[in-house]
Amino acid sequence: MGLLGLAGVLADDASAADNPLLPKSPHFPAKAKHVIHLFMNGGPSHVDTFDPKPELTRLSGKPLPTSNLRTERKTGAALGSPFQFQKYGESGIEVSEIFKHTAAHIDDIAVIRSMHADVPNHEPSLMLMNCGESRLVRPSMGSWVTYGLGTENQNLPGFIAMCPGGYPITETQNWQAAFLPGIYQGTHIDTQHTDVQKLLANIRNSKLTPTAQRKQLDALQELNQLHLRQRGEDPALETRIQNFELAYRMQAEAADAFDVSREPKHVLDAYGPGTQARQILIARRLIERGVRFVQVFHGAGQPWDNHDDLEKNHRRLAGQCDRAIAALMTDLKKSGLFEETLILWGGEFGRTPTVELPQAGANQGKVNGRDHNHWGFSVWLAGGGVRGGQAYGATDEFGFQAVENPVHVHDLHATILHLLGFDHTKLTYRYAGRDFRLTDVHGKVIEQIV
Amino acid sequence: MNYCRFLPAALVLLLVPPSIPPRAVADEIPQEQADFFESRVRPLLASECFACHGEKRQENGLRLDSREAILRGGDSGVPAAAAGEPNSLILRAVRHQNDLEMPPEKKLNEAQISDLAKWIELGLPWPSDSTPVSDEQRYDQIRANHWSLQPVVRPPLPAVPDPSWVATPIDMMIAANLASQGLSPSPQADSRTLLRRLTFDLLGLPPSWDDVQAFEEAARENPQDAYRRLVDRLLASPAYGERWGRHWLDVVRYADTKGYAFGKERRYPYAYTYRDYVIAALNADLPYDEFVRQQIAADRYLQDDQQALAGLGLLTVGRKFSNRHLDIDDQIDVVTRGFLGLTVACARCHDHKYDAIPTDDYYSLYGIFASSHEPADLPLIGVPTDRTQYQQFQEQLARHRQNYDAFRNSKYTEIIEVARSRVTEYLVRVVSNEPEELLQKLPFISLSPDELRPPIVNRWRDYLARRAKPDDRVFGLWHDLLNLPEDSFAAAAAERLAGAANESHHPLVLAALTEPPLAAKTDVAQRYGNLLSQTYMLWKEKGANDAARATLTGDQQELLAVLLDGDSPTSVSRDQLDGLLNRADRNKQSQLQKQIDSVQVNHPGAPPRAMIVREDENPHNPRVFLRGNHARPGKAVPRQFLYVIAGQDRQPYETGGRLELANAITDPGNPLTRRVIVNRLWMHHFGQPLVDTPSDFGVRCPPPQQQAVLDYLAWRLLDCEWSLKQVQREIVLSSTYRQASVDRPDCRERDPENRLYWKMNRRRLEFEVLRDSVLAVADQLNQAMGGRPIDLLGKPEIRRRSVYALIDRQDLPNLLRVFDFPSPDQSQDRRPETTVPQQSLFLMNSPFLQLRSQSLLERIRDVGVDRERIGQLYRLVLQRLPSDAELEVGLGFVENYKEADPWLAYAQLLLMTNEFAYVD
Repeated sequence: MGLLGLAGVLADDASAADNPLLPKSPHFPAKAKHVIHLFMNGGPSHVDTFDPKPELTRLSGKPLPTSNLRTERKTGAALGSPFQFQKYGESGIEVSEIFKHTAAHIDDIAVIRSMHADVPNHEPSLMLMNCGESRLVRPSMGSWVTYGLGTENQNLPGFIAMCPGGYPITETQNWQAAFLPGIYQGTHIDTQHTDVQKLLANIRNSKLTPTAQRKQLDALQELNQLHLRQRGEDPALETRIQNFELAYRMQAEAADAFDVSREPKHVLDAYGPGTQARQILIARRLIERGVRFVQVFHGAGQPWDNHDDLEKNHRRLAGQCDRAIAALMTDLKKSGLFEETLILWGGEFGRTPTVELPQAGANQGKVNGRDHNHWGFSVWLAGGGVRGGQAYGATDEFGFQAVENPVHVHDLHATILHLLGFDHTKLTYRYAGRDFRLTDVHGKVIEQIV
Repeated sequence: MNYCRFLPAALVLLLVPPSIPPRAVADEIPQEQADFFESRVRPLLASECFACHGEKRQENGLRLDSREAILRGGDSGVPAAAAGEPNSLILRAVRHQNDLEMPPEKKLNEAQISDLAKWIELGLPWPSDSTPVSDEQRYDQIRANHWSLQPVVRPPLPAVPDPSWVATPIDMMIAANLASQGLSPSPQADSRTLLRRLTFDLLGLPPSWDDVQAFEEAARENPQDAYRRLVDRLLASPAYGERWGRHWLDVVRYADTKGYAFGKERRYPYAYTYRDYVIAALNADLPYDEFVRQQIAADRYLQDDQQALAGLGLLTVGRKFSNRHLDIDDQIDVVTRGFLGLTVACARCHDHKYDAIPTDDYYSLYGIFASSHEPADLPLIGVPTDRTQYQQFQEQLARHRQNYDAFRNSKYTEIIEVARSRVTEYLVRVVSNEPEELLQKLPFISLSPDELRPPIVNRWRDYLARRAKPDDRVFGLWHDLLNLPEDSFAAAAAERLAGAANESHHPLVLAALTEPPLAAKTDVAQRYGNLLSQTYMLWKEKGANDAARATLTGDQQELLAVLLDGDSPTSVSRDQLDGLLNRADRNKQSQLQKQIDSVQVNHPGAPPRAMIVREDENPHNPRVFLRGNHARPGKAVPRQFLYVIAGQDRQPYETGGRLELANAITDPGNPLTRRVIVNRLWMHHFGQPLVDTPSDFGVRCPPPQQQAVLDYLAWRLLDCEWSLKQVQREIVLSSTYRQASVDRPDCRERDPENRLYWKMNRRRLEFEVLRDSVLAVADQLNQAMGGRPIDLLGKPEIRRRSVYALIDRQDLPNLLRVFDFPSPDQSQDRRPETTVPQQSLFLMNSPFLQLRSQSLLERIRDVGVDRERIGQLYRLVLQRLPSDAELEVGLGFVENYKEADPWLAYAQLLLMTNEFAYVD
């Protein structure tokens, strides 16, 4: 149904009085209306993807002249990237061979090479990237955005978090609503399944056909109307009546949204085979249907956490999603949705430029991987009004630490909210006597990107 | 002037005649000093300092816009300047002495600095007119004026237009308010409605058709008496505790899991004992003050009352943050918002922005909770009835504990053994600064980095720093050789050793060092190491005991002592083992620990235990953490109660202070505790609270429109000795409560939110009640009480009441979240009420509803005639008979429904109706 259907859905649902998910206007007009967060959970290595470091390659195998920064585990000598970098596009930004398809869009991408976070551990860094706070329980970015903007399609959840095979580390906390109303929590979809019944709870009736269910609902609504008439005006009762109609439509719409087999073959080919390709294609279909915030985790646990065999694993992991990311951007550009869809690519941190030393229980002792690195890493933004074709900020010559225009995760959040039309200091929720916000008391919009 | 506080107000007036201005000192400032300040100093402070240290912002808690504020200083408590003090902090800062450089962007010029210095030298003259109100004055103003902090007094009962409507004093206040707005109450609801309302309200379950029949009959005879007896019967039902216990569990952020726990057992084995405590306490109508006291401090005065001890779960069932400060913050938050309606946790990093809660007071409470710990050995609070299972449990537990201990013992032995037998490798690491991967290439290095225990390397470093002195018989040469220059080491070493032949060195050491010649400093370490380990192996061959030691030569014994005796780096005590474990060891140990924990969670024979806290022997003396950062301790504060409630009379606590805190919270003179709880009760009876922010009664909370009702109930709570049931009884006996939930457009226009209570509010069933009701009308509800939590979505399906569901705060089922179940990570004052399609989908499609519809049909399988089947279903589901119109809809549906079993679809749709989900 694509975009055309949205107007109808919106008009229909305007009557739902106390629906907290109705679309809302942000603080100021903005281009970005949706977000796709491609979460490379586990921590992709920036020096092997979007932050080339020739000095590191030159010194490979030797100790760095500067002492290694403290990360989770002990690291040793410099480990040059095993991958070739090459300039792409008019901007000439260098990208690693493992993201060569994505790189074709580099002129629309703003790479932030000076990201930094607080600690080199997965749990707090996932929480920081997703919820803006490492330790305390706070609402996730997707919850904040859905709270702030509502969603455009009431027949689908407004915030969907896809992760094949189970949960990332820290599990459902990654998309928690915390003290926001529960409806702003992300709906987790295990995309290893293809059957829509396994994707969304109770999305289909196993006994009744849609026609049989329609007749059942018609009788229900007759009784509900009798009940309502006896009671006079009550918006809550009316909303609940309306809500069964929404739910009925959601069944069909959700089945449609998640069923990629309805795509033509050339589209499926462009995304490539595998679960990553499928879930990234689903992300596109959800955005087309007006879903506000879609998060795509690479997989259960922490797939990008390559303490060993980095070359082999990063090549495999990037290979699973590179073509699909490129195809997603191509499709969004074709449909005109690229301008209103903000894409965020990245992990919870990057990886050390130095090799991780063998340690029982920590790695397999192969001495060919990298440790976590919160001192400096890369993410990129594209679409949604982002000024592409630029690399913002820089790490030191080896890629250990953000040194030029450092961007903290709070700053990234402030920038994303800005792109969506929010002053990040004013998107607040009063709870327990305080006005809370995604960026707490921090955050600075990166003006050069927006 | 502070002493005046202790004098009666009248006396103060006598002592301080109004003609004397309160700030005489300020008026004595000579004119030329005042001019100097106004022309040179105030403009300087205003342009350079106030932006960050003024009215709008107070970086590091520091204000510079009044003399008092300057003298008080910032978070550190150090005055920014003191009269006549040339070394004042502010002068050091502007002179860029020490680390502090202010203003941060630029240095003041010399003239500006000398103006400041001169002003300080003059004694900080500051004309009086512009002094802002001090914090203490502001706090006292709040204490004197804010409505919720005023004593609870019984409000006067107003005259009402229609005394016949009045059933309880509540009604007089409600009726008077309504009359003053030209409104009137609604008529009383009919008997069936009242019965449904009361039963859902007090039990969270629907009444049965028989209940309706019986009540209607009794009400026909004597309506007042029938209603009273009904109220008493319901309040006495054990289901009451399950219903109201769940309300309380929202407030205390109850869950059965710790949160994220990588590699560890996530579930609390005994959280359920707290849930069961709450249910039992409410059922027993434990006086509320006692209920509060037990949850905060039962261990301090009821050590032997097993049931009361379980109440301490309030403090321990929260999320565990692996961070003591955050765990304590969670305790402060749940206690202060839950019981007092004060957001004290806001004052963790800075003074409360609005309320009279300085950071000092936050850390006073911090000290109280930091003075207790969660002991590893939780007290038993019951004995399992099944002796065999209990015995099996104990055996299993003992086996897992044995495995755990055996692992630790073997690790300990192994680490010590390696440290002694392969001492060379440790010594090489002591002398070498080479990166580990280069050391690994040395031929005599065989320990991989994770077999090497870094703390032992450090112990060797410390040991040698102490012992390797020139005159030491064993390590004198170590000292000398390692201090030789690196570049000409071989020659210098040979020379040193040649000279050593005539000195009194340990002969074996000297021999080992001399031949073959040393080439590098690592050789020194290698020779020492080999000598020590050889001696150790020799001792082992001879039996590794005192007798074996005696067979060694004196020289050998001296070497052996380096490894075995006293402060030897390789004699590590067992309690230091944790620090020696590497990641793999720790993983293994966690695994074994998890087995111990899991058997307590899972084994049916595991007896219940109370999740208590225990006071430490030495209470914690708290310091303020500047900006909430525990790495920046500031001034010390006593353990004591909140100024905002206790005022000047408060006394520091000598013990840890939990019992004192509990007593202060439940003191009848504390107006908040009672106001807060009666507001919560009212909220759950009427679907809306009297005070809109039930856990925040601070200064941003305006006085409620029905403050008289609130205060009456708060007064009444003490009057009936803190009996919650008595207060609730009075609420539900009121005519206000018994009104019909009718729509009256004229009233709706005047008071759309029903703040005046011109009708009863229609309320939607919460998820738990909806689920329990579906089970109940299908005759499938298992009413067993208490015990371990159940997985609501698990298989086989367990048909217990929803309050017994496992609440996994780390993975809360989406089903609960879409039905507005609140986050169990923070205290929740009220649930949002949202209407979203996922709720409808659960009713339309879930196997739960399908199965219950089937069991509902089972209940009418003996009824043959369609018309009667429909009637019977109405009686079961909605406790009434269908109207003609409803009967028509039903008959039409079952006749024409060919797609599937019409009765199954019909039974299900009755469970989906608005009438089923709402209480009038």
